Amino acid sequence: MSFIPGLGLVKGMGLTLLRFFEPKATIRYPEEKPDVAVRFRGRLQLLYDEWGTLKCETCFQCAQACPIECIDMGGMDTKGRFHVHWGPPETYGERREESALRRSGRTVPDRAFEHFEPHDTTAVDGILEDHDYDPKALLEILEATQAAYGFLPVAALKRISEKTGTWYAMIYGTASYYSHLRFEPPAAEIQAAALAGRRPAEATYVAGLGASLHGRTGGDA
Amino acid sequence: MTAILKTPAAWPAILLRREGETGGETARDPKRRAAAAGAAGPAFDGLRRSVRELGSRGTIALLAEAGLRGRGGGGFPTADKWRAAANAEAPAKYVVANGYGADPSSLTDRTIVEREPDAVVEGVAIAAWTIGAEEAIIAVRAGSTDAIAALQGAIDAALSRGELGDDALATGRRLVVEVRTVQGAYMLGEETVLLKALDGRRGQPEQRPPHPSTTGYRGMPTVVQNVQTLASAAWILRNGAAAFRATGTAETPGTILVQVAGNEQGGVAEVPFGTPLGDIVKLAGGVGAGRSIKAVLVGGPSGGILPADRLSTPYTFEALRLLGAHVGSGSIMVADDRACVVDLARVLTRFCADEACGKTIPCRIGTARLAEIGERMSAGTSRAGDVQLATDLADDIVGSGLCDHERLATLPLMSGLRYFGPEVAAHVERGECPAGVCRPIHFAASAPTAPQPTMAS
Ligand SMILES: Cc1cc2nc3c(=O)[nH]c(=O)nc-3n(C[C@H](O)[C@H](O)[C@H](O)COP(=O)(O)O)c2cc1C
Ligand code: SF4
Ligand code: FES
Repeated sequence: MSFIPGLGLVKGMGLTLLRFFEPKATIRYPEEKPDVAVRFRGRLQLLYDEWGTLKCETCFQCAQACPIECIDMGGMDTKGRFHVHWGPPETYGERREESALRRSGRTVPDRAFEHFEPHDTTAVDGILEDHDYDPKALLEILEATQAAYGFLPVAALKRISEKTGTWYAMIYGTASYYSHLRFEPPAAEIQAAALAGRRPAEATYVAGLGASLHGRTGGDA
Repeated sequence: MTAILKTPAAWPAILLRREGETGGETARDPKRRAAAAGAAGPAFDGLRRSVRELGSRGTIALLAEAGLRGRGGGGFPTADKWRAAANAEAPAKYVVANGYGADPSSLTDRTIVEREPDAVVEGVAIAAWTIGAEEAIIAVRAGSTDAIAALQGAIDAALSRGELGDDALATGRRLVVEVRTVQGAYMLGEETVLLKALDGRRGQPEQRPPHPSTTGYRGMPTVVQNVQTLASAAWILRNGAAAFRATGTAETPGTILVQVAGNEQGGVAEVPFGTPLGDIVKLAGGVGAGRSIKAVLVGGPSGGILPADRLSTPYTFEALRLLGAHVGSGSIMVADDRACVVDLARVLTRFCADEACGKTIPCRIGTARLAEIGERMSAGTSRAGDVQLATDLADDIVGSGLCDHERLATLPLMSGLRYFGPEVAAHVERGECPAGVCRPIHFAASAPTAPQPTMAS
């Protein structure tokens, strides 16, 4: 509270006037380029589509391409099938540290997974032994792991990565492609569809085509 | 097991033996098969001829003379593939038989594997001998128990006869054939995707060249061949090129399995190339009495929708491609006068978009936008210029696609636009569906599932 009426107004105008004479910060992009590090490529950001779902397919191609392994995905894929259990808590700095540790041959403390249910990895160890730790047999390993746990727990995927020496992004990128592999325990109705031996997209297509051609289905598989 | 449609007796039977001949049901019963093989003399005569008489060059020359082309959809000359793989220098080579059968409503590949497993295994063995491979893989869909059992039975029988194994045909050369199962995506039918799946990797196609025949499974020269192609190759070695050339057309001799679906019945049939579409449709009884054929869907999920006045078209790779359809999965489905072309194209394009692998922009975004245009049309919410937009987009997808899937995914909508312009226009311009299938006006009120929102992107 001031005693002189209008002092606040004068103060405010004074600030405006001061700013008016300060050097301007406008950068005439693209004539003038901002001064950033030469290797700066912009901030990484996942985009949303018009329905508000993340556009990311969780293919992990970006993670595979990143030389310092600082990219990881979190969220739902475009088909809403699952989310990636690789939370946002870690910063890029921490990721780099992890990558550096891995390269140095030391084991990486895995704080990102502390909040996931612990899984007993004995089963996956046996599976790896059966498949001779061969990354070429990854699909069989993943299928056997899913058969053992009912789904693919992150801890098991990490274990496979550690033991076969295959990049986690590679393993996740492979697993996220195949519709019969899942990262969560299946819901009852999904299980029924899986038991019927046909993925939902195919069933939808066959049913849709049959309806389109008047209640007739194509094959009798 | 699928119904096998009866074909005119004059049509040659190369891939599937007719009822009454050995084969068919006999093939699945190991005891009866052993008895049949004993009666028919030594099996795998084609393999013996290839190995003992012709050799690698001779076999390839014979296939070239016979004009054998791939039955997997592309129609690529088989001899060229084998020659490239045979000439490649590599520490190991592989043969992969593609029996995946990507189209969920076509059972042609499964049918030949279940009914004629010996011919398929013999074809695989011939291919392996010719290109110099020691290991071969037959890839089939996980869960197709009959097919797996039939193949395993045929392989075991060949092993016991000494045609496969560590000392195949007593030549000291190793030749092993393995059945592998894959599942989990439509794209697994595509050759580079199949190779990746067999290698335990994410199933996204690779750019070609290099073709699998020089850089394939595990980076080694690999011949990827449809199971019907391999069975045809075995037949050619047994019966000669001239006999093969006697069927089909000059550019595409031989026969192919098709999955025909009419209104009342459907099933698999073996047809010679060049058979008019109308004759194939008749095998399944067409649309039945009191109805007329409005369109035929040729080629499976990415097939073309052809109008009834094109039923005289010969069933060949070239003729179908010219019309905007393709051989594809061998599927031929009849739509009668009650069907709506826009609705049909919408279902097909949506499936193709959902199954696109996501590797490239035409694949990931192009097919998705195309499917949305189709959905807008059938929901009666088309925007001005949607027809032009779809056409331009399809052109761009065809021009920039990485693999054939996204290129072919444009066919349902484009052939619909090409042959059923007025019907599409009714949807786009007036929000009406002449067939009364889409019912755009009733859609929002009565639809069990909410319509897809179509906001500006
Ligand atoms: C989307 C897509 C799906 C395919 N599905 C199959 C299939 O299910 N079976 C098959 O034999 N070929 C399929 N093909 C063709 C293969 O890529 C490949 O051309 C074929 O297996 C080669 O064998 P061929 O020369 O004997 O035809 C597919 C191709 C594409 C683009
Ligand atoms: S995971 Fe795949 S889709 Fe997702 S951001 Fe990375 S590259 Fe893109
Ligand atoms: S389906 Fe993705 S590149 Fe062809």
